[in-house]
Amino acid sequence: MKAFIALVRAGVVMLRRNRTLLITSLGLALISIFVFGWLFGGGGTPKLQLGVVNDDTSPLGAQVVTQLQHSDSLQVFTGTQTEEVQSLRDGNRNAVLVLPATFGADLRQGHAALQVYYDESNPIMEANARAAVQSIVTGLNQQMTGQTSPVTLHEQAVSVRNLRQIDWLTPGMLGMLLMWANLSVGVLLVEWRQQGILRRLAATPIRPGVLMASQMLARLVLSIAQGAILIAVAIVAFHVQIVGSWSALLLAVTLGALTMMALGFVAGSFTKKPETAQAVTFLVSFPMMFLGGSYFPTDNAPAFLAPVVKAMPLTYLNDALRQIINNGAGLVAVQTDLLILAAWMVAALLLSGRAFRWS
Amino acid sequence: MAAVIPGRFTTQTEEPYVTQTEEPYVDAIVSVRALTKRYGKHTAVDGISFDIRRGEIFGMLGPNGAGKTTTLEILEGIRTQDSGEVRVVGLDVRRNRRAVQRRIGVQLQATTLFTELTAHETLALFGSFYPHALSPETLLREVALEEKAKAFPQNLSGGQRQRLALALALVNDPELLFLDEPTTGLDPQSRRMLWDTVLRLRERGKTLLLTTHFMDEAQQLCDRIAVLDGGHIIAQDTPAGLIGLLGATATIECALAGSPSIEALRGLPHVTDARQGTERILLYTENVETTLVALLQWAAAHGTAVDHLQVHAPTLEDVFLKLTGHGLRD
Repeated sequence: MKAFIALVRAGVVMLRRNRTLLITSLGLALISIFVFGWLFGGGGTPKLQLGVVNDDTSPLGAQVVTQLQHSDSLQVFTGTQTEEVQSLRDGNRNAVLVLPATFGADLRQGHAALQVYYDESNPIMEANARAAVQSIVTGLNQQMTGQTSPVTLHEQAVSVRNLRQIDWLTPGMLGMLLMWANLSVGVLLVEWRQQGILRRLAATPIRPGVLMASQMLARLVLSIAQGAILIAVAIVAFHVQIVGSWSALLLAVTLGALTMMALGFVAGSFTKKPETAQAVTFLVSFPMMFLGGSYFPTDNAPAFLAPVVKAMPLTYLNDALRQIINNGAGLVAVQTDLLILAAWMVAALLLSGRAFRWS
Repeated sequence: MAAVIPGRFTTQTEEPYVTQTEEPYVDAIVSVRALTKRYGKHTAVDGISFDIRRGEIFGMLGPNGAGKTTTLEILEGIRTQDSGEVRVVGLDVRRNRRAVQRRIGVQLQATTLFTELTAHETLALFGSFYPHALSPETLLREVALEEKAKAFPQNLSGGQRQRLALALALVNDPELLFLDEPTTGLDPQSRRMLWDTVLRLRERGKTLLLTTHFMDEAQQLCDRIAVLDGGHIIAQDTPAGLIGLLGATATIECALAGSPSIEALRGLPHVTDARQGTERILLYTENVETTLVALLQWAAAHGTAVDHLQVHAPTLEDVFLKLTGHGLRD
């Protein structure tokens, strides 16, 4: 027991002094948060960029344009058809509305038509734009005919928090941090073995299990500390909100860190040279960083990648963290994710425990 | 006391030269019987047996690859033997590894230490592995490294790192110490310091097993020596006893131009043995003056120049050469 505590203390001290590790894990996550946080900024959903071409010279046309300009959800640009369509092509507009020259006259006669051009390349924005324009037209119709429709819609906005890019990113960065900080334990083990440190330890009465457990606890302490720094930065600099409970978050972080360590041990048990262990760790971490959903959603991954995404432990960790941080989920809600992580951890520990060698 | 003296060790069936019969010595702190270890096809240790008495400095002398480190690792519990019995501090090492390790101290051939821990922290950490441990301050003082308490291993010189490794071996104040080639790679001053420390530890009642390929080290420090070559113990005795094998009181060493035949020189008066070394001739003699005069006369008669003439007391190097036909460092 005395040995275990001393080993944990020494482990924490050694990790703290390992600058490379701190930079690649916490440093990377912090930089990502700052870069993405500032790039995509705070603030809510961006306004729809609408180009309006008013070829109509009648006051009716002008009235429509003014109404559009007063809308809160639209940012209106006016110009000629050529200009606006070009801007649409350039990606600077989400849609372009054209009022033909005969708009006013047609309207007085009871039937006018508007032309709308949409940007198809961004399906989400296209859907938004369509909906926005259609509701504008409906509104105009009602106004023009003076008809009150049989069914009236009373809209009341309930303050559902807007999920910003940074809110979505933060749990992903936390997951990524846990991965980078803990997967490399395998490399350390191989280094120690190759340098003869493990052989020297083999000449002492300590058990291999005690050594491994102490390393895991030391890394866990450091992971929690790093995670706390990351979350503090997200809260203070970007007003990210942790909706779920801190204890649920702590449990998810702990489980995530331990699972990543266990995977690291597996890499360390089957390689002889630190360079090989390093390469294996990198080959696993790099794809997992992207396919595990840390930087962008993987829900719509192509069919051949879907099984890969499902096979990655980080996918489940990120999902659990997002549910807790963004949606306030409790442990029950994320139990599938946590159980899958636990299964990975147990399997990896059993495998690496069997293969452990002092030299 | 039965003893069989080999001319030159050629087959495995010849008995090694030992001072005593192979009955277990009563106060043996280490007892090894028929120890064998193979790595694939290569037999590193081939059925060796020896005892170490409490309070002595026991040496294992032999060139690289003789099986010294493997034997040591088996005694330390780091490796298991293929066959044979090993008892350390009265316990079977294979069955009571950790109990044995609690009572011994170990200095490996090349100790690497945690680069992120200071000397003090490393000693404290290792101390926590044992029920009773000496304080890091005491240990650092023992090996004269007090000013380096806060230093990291990479900032220590080779000699200082070895001393730290020795301090690590003393962490649990063990009754028995295993030192594997403790002065390899050290400058002369550090070697002397280590020799002094080893002798001081024996004065305190500790037993030491020391492996080395330096014959002066074996001769200076060891009470008894086992000479190893190719996985066998080819001789075992006190340094004086081993040197007595030569039956000579002096060695004449020289380089003779034209590489004359050894047989001719063997015939010189009082020569007990003659050997061809690398670019030199070694003559072992019972009467150095007579042989020397005869040699010089012979050389003059044959018109051969005598170069690099040296006369010295026979050493373990000479013994090793006689027993194996090659040097300790060839």
